[in-house]
Amino acid sequence: MKIKICGLFDPANIAAVVTEQPDLVGFIFYPKSKRYVGTNFDPKGIANLPKSTQKVGVFVNEDRDHIISIQTQFAFDYIQLHGEETPEDCAFLKAKGMRIIKAFGVDDGFDFSQLSDYLPYCDYFLFDTATPNYGGSGQSFPWEILNDYPFDTPLILSGGLGVVEVKTFLNSPIPKVEILDCNSKLEKENHHKNLDLVAEVLALTRKTNSGIQPDAAGYYGEFGGAFVPEMLYPNVKELQDQYLFHLHDPEFQREFQDLLKSYVGRPTPLFFSKNLSAHFGGKIYLKREDLNHTGAHKINNAIGQVLLAKRLQKKRIIAETGAGQHGVATATACALLGMECTIYMGEIDIQRQQPNVERMRLMGAKIVPATSGSRTLKDATNEAIRAWINNPVDTYYVIGSAVGPHPYPDMVARFQSVISEEIQVQLKQETGQAAPDYLIACLGGGSNAIGAFYHFIGNPKTQLIAVEAGGLGVDSGKTAATIALGKKGIIHGSKTFLIQTDDGQIVEPHSISAGLDYPGIGPVHAHLSATGLAKVVSVTDEEAVAAALQLARLDGILPALESAHALAYLPKMQLQPDEIVVVNLSGRGDKDLATLIPFLAHEK
Amino acid sequence: MKNRLQTLMEKGSKPLLSIYYTAGFPTLDATIPLAEFLEQQGVDSLEIGFPFSDPLADGPLIQASSSQAIENGMTLSVLFEQLKNLRDRVTIPVVLMGYLNPVLQMGEIAFLEACAQVGVDGVLLPDLPLDYFEKNLKIHYERLGIAPIFLITPETAEARIREIDRLSEGFMYQVASNSITGSEASLTAQTAYFERIAAMQLRNPCLIGFGIHNRETFELATTYSRGAIVGSAFIKQLQAQEGDWEKLVPFLNQFRNKELIL
Ligand SMILES: Cc1ncc(COP(=O)(O)O)c(C=O)c1O
Repeated sequence: MKIKICGLFDPANIAAVVTEQPDLVGFIFYPKSKRYVGTNFDPKGIANLPKSTQKVGVFVNEDRDHIISIQTQFAFDYIQLHGEETPEDCAFLKAKGMRIIKAFGVDDGFDFSQLSDYLPYCDYFLFDTATPNYGGSGQSFPWEILNDYPFDTPLILSGGLGVVEVKTFLNSPIPKVEILDCNSKLEKENHHKNLDLVAEVLALTRKTNSGIQPDAAGYYGEFGGAFVPEMLYPNVKELQDQYLFHLHDPEFQREFQDLLKSYVGRPTPLFFSKNLSAHFGGKIYLKREDLNHTGAHKINNAIGQVLLAKRLQKKRIIAETGAGQHGVATATACALLGMECTIYMGEIDIQRQQPNVERMRLMGAKIVPATSGSRTLKDATNEAIRAWINNPVDTYYVIGSAVGPHPYPDMVARFQSVISEEIQVQLKQETGQAAPDYLIACLGGGSNAIGAFYHFIGNPKTQLIAVEAGGLGVDSGKTAATIALGKKGIIHGSKTFLIQTDDGQIVEPHSISAGLDYPGIGPVHAHLSATGLAKVVSVTDEEAVAAALQLARLDGILPALESAHALAYLPKMQLQPDEIVVVNLSGRGDKDLATLIPFLAHEK
Repeated sequence: MKNRLQTLMEKGSKPLLSIYYTAGFPTLDATIPLAEFLEQQGVDSLEIGFPFSDPLADGPLIQASSSQAIENGMTLSVLFEQLKNLRDRVTIPVVLMGYLNPVLQMGEIAFLEACAQVGVDGVLLPDLPLDYFEKNLKIHYERLGIAPIFLITPETAEARIREIDRLSEGFMYQVASNSITGSEASLTAQTAYFERIAAMQLRNPCLIGFGIHNRETFELATTYSRGAIVGSAFIKQLQAQEGDWEKLVPFLNQFRNKELIL
């Protein structure tokens, strides 16, 4: 959530407010406003403000040419049109290269269809309390009506927002609202903004801003979105509209946290591995997600989503699984919470992960083999999606990684972010510093990695390293190193990198580890990689197996083959003695015995 | 400017029969001859699917035809090469149908331009979001005279149907039930939904598709709509006839010509 501070005009007050780093600030060019900037407003003063705060010029029924001349002097990031401007006005200014915020006064009978003609020309719609004086009334309107807003253009909420109102809003946010616009309620005298109030409002949103979040349409930069056929639109839209409401509900959080603690066994330990440290240098810690109930991080997300499904009054759960870890976690959560459960699993994976298949059956889940395509995770996901199309009303689809259409990547990231939350606290206790120098996780669809990275994203202290499955080698044609090879495209409802032919057919990936055998990647990781916020590397099947066997010998921990990919990056690092590394050990290796045992025979 | 599709919709009131088939199936070069054959059999319009490896909204029959087509060597560039002389040989409207990813790789605008060049009348990309279409592609569809076709389903909310109606041209593809393609269930339970949509007085006519597989389902659907689309059931026949298309005639006639059946 972003904050816009509007109605600034006094140079000293402007300078003071921007030091608090609001996301946007607004300047009113409407002569009848009490906060009119006047005729001597200085463009140079605005040009010198920090770039991290975006600037908005606000106009009311202003002459187009005058707006253009102001914009030439001030180069605002957005032009806000707060009067009765027509779609043609917006189109005209948009064509001049301006980004447009169109404001509307809202009352009970507001008819959203009047927005249709504005859609192509506006970057945001701003909703303010309807008044004869074009806003500035200090009154709020009943925000609930925005729940009926039918379009995808993001929204700015305005009208009487102060500290109390922002707090209320954040407790039950409304989908599509990206920016809260504060004005009179942050003033004490002379229409100057009060710095304490500004700081307080910003602190409120910063609290909810830790981690990384997509925009209202589900995009991380250019990646993400929701590319689903109409048959899935109502389901996906319902989730988009509801998930934050439930996730922010204290009752939901209490139930979720209780189960994580008493059922899953959280917090999981942060184990200082003397032996690995002695071997590779540095101080190497293992985040023991393998010690979760059911043996991997997947249960954090499964419990969260099944709880959500209950709240949405769904009757049946479906899920896809690759290694079977997510299937087992979902079957487990369903047994616990009393939901009917069907798991889709590729025929090949059913063979190579037999113990997990039996575990799911023992917990009462039905297993449906995916027999199309490569008969692995991608195809299991296709089948689960088709099953969802066939049962759209009473069925909830629990996606097992940070993939799929918005809101899944964000929802999964939030449920898994408990991992990084714990790392912060535990590392601080152990070492006195909350952020490691390196944080390493394996990358399948990206759920354990985003969970481990979440609170460290953008922290300059920590180098985030995501390890893809190189298979037989990135250039061998038998690989699952999606980001290394991938080209942009669409898979399972989101825009991301994927392994595909020039003609856009998705290529069957290969990895020794079933959980990494996926040709796409969660959109957040495409974004982290594209922006340099995380470094993406790959290791081969062989290196991963060696790392798994090594950890078993050195520390008596048999890691999942997926997690072994993260460990296999350690030999490639040159660690200084006091550098701190956290490796996310996403799961345990019991399920991989059949794959690992033949390698024992090769050892001398 | 009206294209063939819009002209067809406005012509008379006889229920329209539209056939879906996958380009490059059962053999790579079948695409155009099959179109010609279907036109000769009195089919009113065609939906030609270009294959994708992971067709989310499709059942086993269309999935299998897509995989076969890919194996046969079908790609978008091969398809546009085949369609080069489409308009020398086929006069009925043609809609291209397929998933967004192959289109993205070709380039969305290049794809639409190629469609216009070979005389394709409409394009249906089931996973193309409405807002994405409106922001990025609408002007190109308009410029090139290509009708954007979208799906509506039993669960699509009324306001959204109106929105889809606003953005559609030619017709709207009304999905018959909550189902992927190829269901063979009876559609009698859907009459309330068909009536509801018919009563909305939409700007565009609807063609009903998904699960239209025999005379009964065709007649039920077209009681409430401008026409119906037969897909999986046709693919199944096509596969069974192993190249002897004359054997498809009775199957096609059941949708048209009552005398032959009775
Ligand atoms: C133990 C373990 N780690 C990692 C993964 C990969 O998934 P993700 O990238 O979503 O964490 C899996 C998937 O099955 C897994 O079982």
